[in-house]
Amino acid sequence: MIATMTTPKQKTAIETIDLSVSYNSKPALKGVSVAFPENAVTALIGPSGCGKSTLLRAMNRMNDRIPDVAISGRVLLNGHDIYDRRVNLTRLRREVGMVFQKPNPFPMSIFENVALGPRLHYGIRGCALQEVVEDALRKAALWDEVKDDLNKSGLALSGGQQQRLCIARMLAVQPRILLMDEPCSALDPISTQKIEELIAELGTRYTVIVVTHNLQQAARISHYTGFLMYGEVVEWGETAELFARPKHSETEDYIRGRFG
Amino acid sequence: MMDAVRSEGASRDAWEALAARRDAQRARESALLTSAFGAVGLATVLLVFALVAIIAFKGAPTLSWEFLTQPPREGMSAGGVGSMIFGSILLMLGAFVMATPLGVFGGVCLAEYGERSRLMRLMHASVAALAGTPPIVYGLFGLAIFVLKFHFGVSLVAGWGTLTLFCVPAIVLTTEAALKTVPAALIDGGLALGLSRWQTLWRIALPYALPGILTGVILSLGRAVGEATPVLFTASVYYTTAETTLGWDTLRQPVANLPYYLAEGYRQPGVVPERLIWGACLTLIMLTLLLNAGAILIRSRMRRRYL
Repeated sequence: MIATMTTPKQKTAIETIDLSVSYNSKPALKGVSVAFPENAVTALIGPSGCGKSTLLRAMNRMNDRIPDVAISGRVLLNGHDIYDRRVNLTRLRREVGMVFQKPNPFPMSIFENVALGPRLHYGIRGCALQEVVEDALRKAALWDEVKDDLNKSGLALSGGQQQRLCIARMLAVQPRILLMDEPCSALDPISTQKIEELIAELGTRYTVIVVTHNLQQAARISHYTGFLMYGEVVEWGETAELFARPKHSETEDYIRGRFG
Repeated sequence: MMDAVRSEGASRDAWEALAARRDAQRARESALLTSAFGAVGLATVLLVFALVAIIAFKGAPTLSWEFLTQPPREGMSAGGVGSMIFGSILLMLGAFVMATPLGVFGGVCLAEYGERSRLMRLMHASVAALAGTPPIVYGLFGLAIFVLKFHFGVSLVAGWGTLTLFCVPAIVLTTEAALKTVPAALIDGGLALGLSRWQTLWRIALPYALPGILTGVILSLGRAVGEATPVLFTASVYYTTAETTLGWDTLRQPVANLPYYLAEGYRQPGVVPERLIWGACLTLIMLTLLLNAGAILIRSRMRRRYL
């Protein structure tokens, strides 16, 4: 099934064409074709196992690491298929950053966590590197809290701070698309609120795609929402519209809390 | 008693009475197991302590600065074990320098490719078997290969080669095990950041696993330094008047070392006085304890740094 989607007003940043993914011959995504508008937040919602995380991880090819995965279809970034054999994974992931469900700072200092990417990708050193790190930490709304402890371990931070550190680490690599896999599900409400504000803020400058279990969160932070079920896109459109006037009964049942 | 709870409106007391019997039984069980395990555990600890205590008691009077630094004198009947300590440390350093990179690279290889490739699974099994191979086998292998085939003769170099082979399997296994403790989330984080597989390994996985790897290296060296058999036919000399000097010649000459001194000294009673043997025994134990303590120290220091 090809999803019916309202044509976004913005340019498309990344799109999938008839994308199917299966694990161990068990289909997780069935021919999904969707476009993610540039410089906007798109939320992916749906019941557990609906394929939203699979869709997210297909866009920076993190699914490749799973044994017995089969992927067909295309994912176009700048008009090029990222599943083309000539694609350089390093380059792809430099452009498409990712934040995981559970914060995973590296066991090194806060500074090193953020500096690692720009140092390895762009060879930046010295003062320039310090500026890049500060800039990324500021964009992740963490700078004021850690500027005096840059040499402290990233693991000494609170959960919410760790997640923002991971966001800063991603931003320091200068991506254009940010993939977030339930970035708040392991956090307390106050940290969640901070990350949500941050996502909304980032959405003005980056293409943000966020998987979430939290419907209110999707409603609060996203411009567009995609609702998936059984590996297919059921409904896709502007968030306000989708939540106010869902076109499909499944969507309505899900967002009214009748299942999932 | 069981019947009391069968009827529908069974009283709380009937249930409690049933539970009380089980509680008493559980308490007896716990008491029995706790005392049994406690006794066996205590016996083990005491055994080890007794061993060390006896050696310390017998060896301590001999220990002195002179004993630790001077070579034997008067046909081994006097003097110290300085040249043996020196030789043991020399053997160990060479093995450390060669076995560490080999073992760590081997471990990295197994951890990186181990699960997918059948060849690597076979390698893992072979290395595990090698790690359990008796040291005398390494000694004879070293004799055949380094001493005879390569014409190194009974020499420090041949001893290094043999001890390196002896240490490598254990280092491979500990490196592999340490790398497997690296959380998958960290690896994913590195890859998602666009790091290559090798960058992820080098920048994230290895630093994380380093304390474990170093512990493995030091422990295997500790084992090597106490073994007489790998160096028995390959590097050892019993009686040496040579001063403890270093030069290129040292490489081609056999060296005295503590375990060999102990073995030979004991076999020739009357030549080496008993007090010297006890002293050397204590020295060897202290040397291995020192290495183990070093391993623990390194591990806790590194863990504390960023974890």
